[in-house]
Amino acid sequence: MPLLLGFIFGGVGFAVGAGLLGAIRTSMGLEFWSTDMSWSIAYPVALLGWLAGVGGWKYWATEWFGGTPAVSPKGVSRYFEFNMDHKVIGIQYGVTFVALFLLSGLTAMAIRYELMHPGMQLFNEDQYNAAMSFHGIGMVAVAVAIVMGCFGNYVVPIMIGARDMAFPRINALSFWLVPPVAITLVIAVLLGGWDTGWTAYPPLSVLTKSGQTLFNLAVTTFGVVSILGGINFIVTIIYERAPGMTWGRLPIMVWGTFAGSIIAFFFTQGFAAGLLMVLFDRVIGTSFFGAAHGGSALLYEHVFWFYSHPAVYVMVLPAFGAVLEVLSHMSRKPLYAYKWVVGAMLGIVALSGVVWAHHMFTSGMADYLHAPFLVLTEMISIPTGIIFLSVLGTIWAGRLWVRTPMLFALAFIFNFTIGGLTGIYLADMPTDVHLHDTYFVVAHFHYTIMGGEIFALFAALYYWFPKMTGREFNETLGKIHFFIMFIGFQLTFIPMFQVGVRGMNRRIADFPAAYEGANVWISMSGFLLGISFIFFTVNMILSWVRGRQAAANPWGASTLEWQISSPPPEHNFDEIPVIQEGPYEYGVPGATPHARLTGAVKHA
Amino acid sequence: MAVIVAVVVTAIVGILGAGALLLDRRPPAPAGEQNGMNRHLAVAAILWVIFTALSLAGAVAMDPFPTGAAPEAAFSDHAFRLMTYMGAPILGLVLAGLVYSVLTFRSVGGADAEDGPPMKGTGMVPKVWLGATTALAVTVMVSPGLTGLAEMRADRTSDMTIKMTGQRWSWTADYPGGITSDELVLPVNKRVKFEVTAPEGDVLHSFWVPAFRNKIDAVPGMTTVTYITPNRIGDGKDDVAYRVQCAELCGLMHARMAMNVRVVDAAEYDKWLAGKVKK
Repeated sequence: MPLLLGFIFGGVGFAVGAGLLGAIRTSMGLEFWSTDMSWSIAYPVALLGWLAGVGGWKYWATEWFGGTPAVSPKGVSRYFEFNMDHKVIGIQYGVTFVALFLLSGLTAMAIRYELMHPGMQLFNEDQYNAAMSFHGIGMVAVAVAIVMGCFGNYVVPIMIGARDMAFPRINALSFWLVPPVAITLVIAVLLGGWDTGWTAYPPLSVLTKSGQTLFNLAVTTFGVVSILGGINFIVTIIYERAPGMTWGRLPIMVWGTFAGSIIAFFFTQGFAAGLLMVLFDRVIGTSFFGAAHGGSALLYEHVFWFYSHPAVYVMVLPAFGAVLEVLSHMSRKPLYAYKWVVGAMLGIVALSGVVWAHHMFTSGMADYLHAPFLVLTEMISIPTGIIFLSVLGTIWAGRLWVRTPMLFALAFIFNFTIGGLTGIYLADMPTDVHLHDTYFVVAHFHYTIMGGEIFALFAALYYWFPKMTGREFNETLGKIHFFIMFIGFQLTFIPMFQVGVRGMNRRIADFPAAYEGANVWISMSGFLLGISFIFFTVNMILSWVRGRQAAANPWGASTLEWQISSPPPEHNFDEIPVIQEGPYEYGVPGATPHARLTGAVKHA
Repeated sequence: MAVIVAVVVTAIVGILGAGALLLDRRPPAPAGEQNGMNRHLAVAAILWVIFTALSLAGAVAMDPFPTGAAPEAAFSDHAFRLMTYMGAPILGLVLAGLVYSVLTFRSVGGADAEDGPPMKGTGMVPKVWLGATTALAVTVMVSPGLTGLAEMRADRTSDMTIKMTGQRWSWTADYPGGITSDELVLPVNKRVKFEVTAPEGDVLHSFWVPAFRNKIDAVPGMTTVTYITPNRIGDGKDDVAYRVQCAELCGLMHARMAMNVRVVDAAEYDKWLAGKVKK
């Protein structure tokens, strides 16, 4: 019902915005409707209508104006409206982004079908560009938000012994900005799409068709989601920790989320600014990027990558956290070199801000910029190396319980090694000038983001599934999912390195016949990879609906979220717990438990 | 040369790594357990050597490159190989640690399973590791990184200049003397300076010939420069590496924005040029 109301109010908002603009335009003797301008004005008004409709008014804003806010329902319906419980929001994020992941994945299947042979199969060039662009931004959005949005929201507050996030209303607000982003992007594709990928480089993004305007509006909104989420995590982790939860006792998942949030908070603004500048060039005739009026296309590349390179650490830092969490608990060993890992994560945060121009070695930027960015970029391998030390030291001599989450966490190690090593070729000028914008790059970032973060996501998903749903997942289906995905992934992306070096460039609807053999192989493997997600989806749905009741602590893990029921009670803890020891004291003789749940100070 | 580098790197990393693992300060363990741990380390170290050797063998055997038709191409491929050799011991280490752990340290699990040994990595290991990885990173930065960069820039002389213009969705090559061509014909062993641009009001493109391993964007309102000395005769009709391929997404026909490249001997070049002038 609130969802329906959201759509209605959103529609009304759109009509009001477009109508007002139309009236003004008509009075000035212009046409009533001007696609780019009308959308740009109507979209924010529609957004406000949507937010009010889905419950922003009923549960929040009405209070400001003297009304009485409604009380949230308890059942399943609360997932479909504005709700401030961090656990509800975590599941909302998780389900929404898994759906977007599957949709963008289906697009990838269509793309692989098209690219199986030279010539055009399924699409024409225009449709191909639209599909490629949608796959790109869809997956980037998933990668940026899913680990933090889902597990950051659900697990992190419990891990630090808090009853909720610091700003529950802002938390709900930032989630409810997500559906309009996804819906707007889908509408953009249905109206003919846009053809600038997820990067939206001008001058093309200024000159191209109107789908671009919807892209810019939607993705700027998504930037707001990321910034609000970042602030919320930073404040929550600083101020909402339970007594005794010192910085040295924080579970590593919390550190990963904290580090990722700092980047999301500080850098996303650059991207949003770039997108707004493109929008201004399109709609109100500014010339930030048009050479004819003194603008510079290179300006955008700097602004864009100033965010978009750090963004990959927004994706992988929480993923590192999740993987290390799973590896420690399921090896029953302390997290190896814990404090070094924290240092490495913060080191990555610091370096992430000064490496962006390695995406621009062939852009024509000033020559003197090449050397510093080459050096700084390769420095990132040093803190990343520490993470690998921790990973290997943690599983070494452990008691490895090789269940589905552990399999995904172990696969992450392998995949991220390949992704990391191939990154060096792209950081080095002599090789990058050849490899830039080829399938080598495509393979590299799929190894880091999909092989890295998405494998970590599945590790986290299977690991916390019993906690979040209160149900056990089906282990056999989980393992089938893992093995098909792992094998399909390797078979798909290893040959892409090769075909890229051979001279196949990326983002192309068609390719020379010489590359056909490799592409047939890649597409077939890609379909195999796609099939694995059928097992995943079936497993998730069946297990959630009719899986066995999960125990409070099925993994025997030490962190706080496993010390309370599955799923946790509404406010997580009856009494605020007291933290007495670090979270990874496995095998330490005479260690006190991580937390004491009762007999603590009463919550004020 | 590259093989020697790889072997030396392997040896250094091997000694540092093994030393580091042995130096780790663990709580005193029963004598039997300590011996067991040493055996685990020894077997894993052997695995590391094997995986590294296999990776190196693979790296030596591989030939992923398209036709190279310029010294710049040989230079890039050399850097590629060098990094592959240097990566081999790292890949070997991760594989050894991963494979050996999964095979050896598995347990039946369970929520109340026994704990592993409390190794926290508070001793020397992380420091040694940090030192070793920093040394490796600095090595890659210096060579092939910075030295490569310097070498790429070293020679700014040229025998001739060709202006390449990318516009949606085709390339135009402007030769000296007002000759314009929709095919890039280059005399072998002559150093060519390419001035790359795009018209104002157009979009970004990127000038890339896979056989030359070189790429520079065509930016509206700006001229970018790159140098190539083609040294192998060839024709894009027989070998896709000889093509100018736009490598920056430029809209509708981006995939089809390619131009044939032909590297020919001096006589044939003069003939072609003469034919162009007559028209």
